[in-house]
Amino acid sequence: MGAMDSGGAVRGRTGARRISAIAALVLACAVPPAAAQVELSGSWRPLPRNQDGSGMTGDTAGVPVSQEGRWRADSWSPDDFDVAEFVCRPHAWDYSLEGPLSPLRLWPEIDRNTQKIVAYRGHVNMMEQETTIWMDGRPHPPANTLHTWSGFSTGEWDGDTLVVTTTHLKEAYIRRGGLMRSDQSVVRTRWRRMGDYLQATSILYDPVYLAEPYIRTTMMWINDPNMAMAPYPCEEATETAVPRGTVPHFLPGESPLPGLNPKLADGYATPYDARLGGAQTMYPEFVTKMKGMPKPTVPAPPGSVE
Amino acid sequence: MSSLRIAAVAGVLLAGLLGSSHVVFSQGPAAGRQAVWPPRIQGPAPGDLQVLPVRGNVHVIIGAGANITVQSGTDGILLVDTGTAAMSGKVLEAMKTISTRPLRYIVNTTEFEDHVGGNAAIADTGEIIPFREPNYTAGPQGALDITKASVIAYYTMFHRLAGPTGGTPKIPELGWPDNTFSIPQKRLYFNDEPVVVIHRPSNTDGNSIVLFRRSDVVSAGALLDLTGYPRIDTAAGGSIETLVDSLNGLIDVTVPARNAEGGTLVIPAHGRIADHAEVVYYRDMITIIRDRVAAMARKGMTLAQVKAARPTREYDKRYGSTTGTWTTEMFVDAVFRSLGKS
Repeated sequence: MGAMDSGGAVRGRTGARRISAIAALVLACAVPPAAAQVELSGSWRPLPRNQDGSGMTGDTAGVPVSQEGRWRADSWSPDDFDVAEFVCRPHAWDYSLEGPLSPLRLWPEIDRNTQKIVAYRGHVNMMEQETTIWMDGRPHPPANTLHTWSGFSTGEWDGDTLVVTTTHLKEAYIRRGGLMRSDQSVVRTRWRRMGDYLQATSILYDPVYLAEPYIRTTMMWINDPNMAMAPYPCEEATETAVPRGTVPHFLPGESPLPGLNPKLADGYATPYDARLGGAQTMYPEFVTKMKGMPKPTVPAPPGSVE
Repeated sequence: MSSLRIAAVAGVLLAGLLGSSHVVFSQGPAAGRQAVWPPRIQGPAPGDLQVLPVRGNVHVIIGAGANITVQSGTDGILLVDTGTAAMSGKVLEAMKTISTRPLRYIVNTTEFEDHVGGNAAIADTGEIIPFREPNYTAGPQGALDITKASVIAYYTMFHRLAGPTGGTPKIPELGWPDNTFSIPQKRLYFNDEPVVVIHRPSNTDGNSIVLFRRSDVVSAGALLDLTGYPRIDTAAGGSIETLVDSLNGLIDVTVPARNAEGGTLVIPAHGRIADHAEVVYYRDMITIIRDRVAAMARKGMTLAQVKAARPTREYDKRYGSTTGTWTTEMFVDAVFRSLGKS
């Protein structure tokens, strides 16, 4: 800074250079990447995540289920997974990302003439679920077109984050214990790459089975060019433990699921009221409330907690 | 230049750039527009029709009452159901956007007004191919009026649409079924495609579904309503038990592609184009409600007590209705009564 003290002209030139330097620094830090944005393509190996709460069948803590969602889960039977027609029902795309079988491959579809990205294609290991994220500004289809497990997705860049909006979803489960989202759901997913790490944050909006949007932030992958993607084919079952035409369910108030038994404790002795879920169980202040709640003391029988 | 001025300039630059970095943009033609949230995905506005391709020879017209299936080709047009009477003009216009060939057949899947209301006006615009000479009156087709489209339906529908002798028919005579059947299925080969009309008693005793085998599309009629609970007309022989049986029968003729979705496509009475999984979910819901009402009835609960217990409770926000021609209460009432309770 000595030069700044030697005369006004010198101070002026030095000041201008400092402004230029600061402006360049600010530009370098704040300008979003050009049209190419961030490269999301590649093979992504999932890092461990928690996809089912405490793992106790029937536990719903932390999920903002509506009353309808609670009732739906209360009548759900694990035998539902053995219904012949649904043996090949996958975890839908948005749940597959959160689940254990989530090795992921993303690749771009590029328009040959413009060399712009028309879409990102995605493949997740769980039952070979695939998605297309349209990047060309096309509108979502009319409401009366077919709904699918992956839905219809469009993407837009928000800085270096790819923001994906998904509509036209089939009804599917959001945990493997009877928690469902309806076919009215819309999912917004934010994809962000940080070096060799990829993170997805999804916000599920469902006016039927959720009381508030459900935000999932546990999904993270590491780039692994050598990752093997195993095939995961499925053939419709014709004979299962559940006779064809039978719909397994429990009558209201008669579910034997351990999570719905107030006396049984999960591995964390989560209070029964917390296990019932609901919007309030998402928020930090609920932890304080939980401390005042009675804790179940009878250990859940083997097999009822993963 | 003072440090204060430098900081101010940098602050202005930073504020401007941070602001711009929060603009949501894309690479495509919509670049620069703010995302619309929540996304608008809507069906046709009331009074408007929407024509959607389904697959192969098959389209669907949505918004005229019950969905209308249109199968078209060189042989002409075959419709499944005709919507309400008030929408017939618009339906005829919509048909022309799909094909200008003559209307040959109408298949009615049920007798409800939103399925058969357009029968007379629309059938009148069609023509059936004459059997031998125009004035030939013998044989199975001899009695057909060849100056209109032929209306196919299960025979019990004819009786109720025409009404008792001397009584008031439900629809004008021109729209009455003139090509009835009383066996499990009636088959046509039309537009290079097998068309199988399968009797599926459910909402009434006269319901049918229509299978387009080459296009791999099923028109399910009132058996599947993705906008509400199924209407059950117990006076017309409908029941919850036959409804569940027929939903299972519908599942039997839909073959999913990979991961239990896609494959055979299903056109419901109301709502979006569906597939095997949608039918399974609907079957599951109806079966669960049936089982609950049956269990309550076995306990000796009265209809009022069953309604108060809300056996449909977790499905009401999606499928229920407290107004209109078919409410949740009417549905529960019909389930209860068709289980033999009253």
